[in-house]
Amino acid sequence: MTEDVLVYGPVTREIISSRLDMLSERKELGGHSLFLGQVRADVNGQRRVKAIEYSAYEEMVKKEVEAIQKEILSGFNDVRSVVILHSIGTVMAGEVSLLVLVSGGHRQQAIEACSRVVDLIKERLPVWKKEIFEDDSREWVRNNLA
Amino acid sequence: MEIRVLFFGVLAEVTQTMFRHYRDVISYSDLINRIRDEFPEMEHYNYRVAVNSEIVNEDPGLKNMDEVAFMPPFAGG
Repeated sequence: MTEDVLVYGPVTREIISSRLDMLSERKELGGHSLFLGQVRADVNGQRRVKAIEYSAYEEMVKKEVEAIQKEILSGFNDVRSVVILHSIGTVMAGEVSLLVLVSGGHRQQAIEACSRVVDLIKERLPVWKKEIFEDDSREWVRNNLA
Repeated sequence: MEIRVLFFGVLAEVTQTMFRHYRDVISYSDLINRIRDEFPEMEHYNYRVAVNSEIVNEDPGLKNMDEVAFMPPFAGG
């Protein structure tokens, strides 16, 4: 189950396409739920975000992703695979920094599990992000888990 | 014992280091005290501690060459 989770730079269209292409070989699957997290050009006072710089505790990210995958596969009996890709390094506003792709026999569990995986990523992955503004100032971000 | 210590996120900036070795560590509390003495500004930040990638809430009983990470609140996704 272990595979590369961390992507240096953005999760590109090519990476996303290759992940989707792989699905056609899994003919037992009937539904896929895909979540893409994109860097948003938030405005903080007079400053607009132009990019986010991600850093991570890589060893722990791998362990936590494996734990999340096991938890989802044991909690959703129709789910067959959980793919998680997360950026580290710099990702520009408008680019994708997170991919979650959950596949199962049918749509309902795939959709529910996908949403659950995104929640668990925010709660448990040791990843940090720093907003880079258009004026090149920088600020650490804290997740709002609500 | 010798302990590898990692600092992440804002704590890497506060301590101006991401990685360092501590030698002759007697215990977990000895390590924590040494880090607090060396980087008193850390007390202004929230953080959790992981030992060998597992979050700990109390003294885990360190072993030689364990890896101890100081981690500010996560912000992934």
